[in-house]
Amino acid sequence: MLRDITFGQYYQAKSPIHSADPRIKMILMIIFIVFIFLSSNMFALLFSFVSVALVIAVSKVPIKLYLKNMKAILPILIFTAIINLFYGDGSTVLVEFWKLSITTEGVFKAIFMATRIMLLIFISSVLTYTTTPNDLTDAIESLLSPLRFLGLKNAVHTLAMMMTIALRFIPTLIEEAEKIMNAQKARGADLESGGIIERVKALIPILIPLLISSVRRAYELAEAMECRCYNGGEGKTRMKQMKLKMLDLYLSVITVLMLLGVILINIIL
Amino acid sequence: MSILEVRGLTHSYSGNTPFVNDAVSNVSFSIEKGEIIGIIGHTGSGKSTLVQHLNGLLKPTEGTVLLENEDIWKSPKEIRKIRSKVGLVFQYPEYQLFEETVYADIAFGPKNMGLEGEELENRIEEICKIVGVKPEYLEKSPFDLSGGEKRRVAIAGVLAMRPEVIVFDEPTAGLDPRGREDVMQIIKDYRKAYDATVIIISHSMEDMAQTVDKILVMNKGKIEMFGSVNEVFSKGEKLLEIGLNVPVVTKVFSKLKSMGIPVNPDVFTVEAAIKELERLREGDKNA
Repeated sequence: MLRDITFGQYYQAKSPIHSADPRIKMILMIIFIVFIFLSSNMFALLFSFVSVALVIAVSKVPIKLYLKNMKAILPILIFTAIINLFYGDGSTVLVEFWKLSITTEGVFKAIFMATRIMLLIFISSVLTYTTTPNDLTDAIESLLSPLRFLGLKNAVHTLAMMMTIALRFIPTLIEEAEKIMNAQKARGADLESGGIIERVKALIPILIPLLISSVRRAYELAEAMECRCYNGGEGKTRMKQMKLKMLDLYLSVITVLMLLGVILINIIL
Repeated sequence: MSILEVRGLTHSYSGNTPFVNDAVSNVSFSIEKGEIIGIIGHTGSGKSTLVQHLNGLLKPTEGTVLLENEDIWKSPKEIRKIRSKVGLVFQYPEYQLFEETVYADIAFGPKNMGLEGEELENRIEEICKIVGVKPEYLEKSPFDLSGGEKRRVAIAGVLAMRPEVIVFDEPTAGLDPRGREDVMQIIKDYRKAYDATVIIISHSMEDMAQTVDKILVMNKGKIEMFGSVNEVFSKGEKLLEIGLNVPVVTKVFSKLKSMGIPVNPDVFTVEAAIKELERLREGDKNA
């Protein structure tokens, strides 16, 4: 049951997007988000749509996986669409009841907003599907490193280390939670029936041992790290150095061209 | 009459992934009431998966588990009743302690069975005597106890449900020699007091030789051997082949035998070894 939770959705494949530098991927994703938001008319949005579709095709991650992500936010998508449906300030009224009215502009706006959110989810999924969680945290650390000039040198490294450790221990904790659940079930604990309050109460025998073992694990890890002379980020080198390649340049150029495309369409049409 | 019977049990994990593999495949055996069975097998041989079927924590992919000749999955809603009849003490059970006091923690299982009041108190008092938890400990926090004491309390928590069949998954792992002996003694005492059937998973061949009646050897999800201690440990080569071992004394005696000393190599416990050596000495005197 718990095993079904996917975390870090990395999907192994060989594609230019997989092998691109994670830092560049992050920056390019931000550019994508910017131009999806900049798309102010249907044509610009269509252009963004085609661009995102292109990236998805190149990523070699099955489209099924992207749609699975979409399913999770479907309620938000529908909610946004419905709200926008009533906020079109046009004059061609299609349906009217009570104080609410749906206009053609409203329908148009609803589709527009829904597509926009969809594209945002797609493009951020590209990043998580093609980049391992560890690469992501490394990239964050590297991108935030200018903060050291603000006297936050250690903070950046600490933050990145915390993220790495948290990611590393998620599978461990899931396994541990499963073990404890089984042990309490063997003692007759009832986790499957009862009302909400009973179910929450039934979680106590699982959460307390889990919390205690996490604290114990944290102490052990801290000790193990100290034994290996870990003393923060100072002078630490990486096993995998991130280096920019020609591929990263190509991808950047293409993305910037797409951005310019959106801006042009916005102005012309 | 056999109390527990497993017929054609197969369990495969993760049906959805391409990595389908049977953790346990087509296993059948039966256990008589009051027996002590040992299960040995190298890591990943399917021992733990197998025992989790005995109290319905896992549902067989194929096959059935019969408790007193009745399929335990006959009415899935009643599976919690099965869990009070077939107790399971997991590896490192002390990690499942969670209550504020030792008393409350031991009472968790019996309470889930619906026991309360005097009956509950009597039961806890009784089990504490068997397990060796002193009355003054009952009001302490379980987290203030030492490792060995925590283990006792955790075991008491399962035994307090008074299961007819009790399964221990490596009950002595991580304990010092004294602690190991204590735990093995608890198991024997419980069995004696309630005429219970016991199943022990262990990597300690010495514990096995000393405690159990029959040994079930698992290898790659299948039963390799199932027989008396003598039968199993006399096939030392086969055991070594699948990554297991025989008790140290047995090794010593086979070596003695191969050096030409006229001993019986089927010696599995230190006590038996002493007897065998004494027999040999007597024989020398008589000669």
